[in-house]
Amino acid sequence: MKNEVREFRRKRELSQADLAEGLGVSRQTVIAIESGRYSPSLPLAFRIAKFFEVPVETMFDPSEEEVQ
Amino acid sequence: MNVRKHPRLLAPGAVLAIGSVMVVAVGIGHTWSDALISEIIIVAIALFDFFLAGTKGDVGAIYRRRTDERQREVIMKASRLAMLVMFALCYGIAFILIALNKNYWQEDVIGSAGGVAFFVGMTIFGVHDEVADSSSRGIMSTEEVKPPM
Repeated sequence: MKNEVREFRRKRELSQADLAEGLGVSRQTVIAIESGRYSPSLPLAFRIAKFFEVPVETMFDPSEEEVQ
Repeated sequence: MNVRKHPRLLAPGAVLAIGSVMVVAVGIGHTWSDALISEIIIVAIALFDFFLAGTKGDVGAIYRRRTDERQREVIMKASRLAMLVMFALCYGIAFILIALNKNYWQEDVIGSAGGVAFFVGMTIFGVHDEVADSSSRGIMSTEEVKPPM
């Protein structure tokens, strides 16, 4: 699943460690989400969207194959 | 000492506790010099676990039991791998013992217990069908559908 986490984090000038602390997850999980290796659960996806104050669909964009 | 306040001690503490029981069993069943060797190995494993629990990253977090959702997924995948290896070893050893005409009931017990635990786990953690909702309008529904006015 494509996401805009890295872009939003960079816009806010936050480090991966800062974001991890804000979300209550490990830095490795932030790295995995940003690189697209891990799709977060719904609660975490909403937490990320809330953290950046954007709708969840702005932050995450599932590809068409995944939706089907 | 409360290990909850010191999560780094959880894994080595468990190794030392279980290992010490095993050391006593070795001492009773074999010799106390064998037990001493076992104790040295167990202390070495506990120290290794203590070192691992202090590392940054997934392994350290898992050993300290401070995990997030992705790390819990890592635990599940690693547990599945460990289970497969243990099953393969268990039955592999059982087949060798059968071929050698030796007792193999221990492997049989371990393998059967693992299989039963798997099914119990599926029952406990799985989602089960509930009683069909009477308001369902599925093709098997017996509910009378009123035509729109």
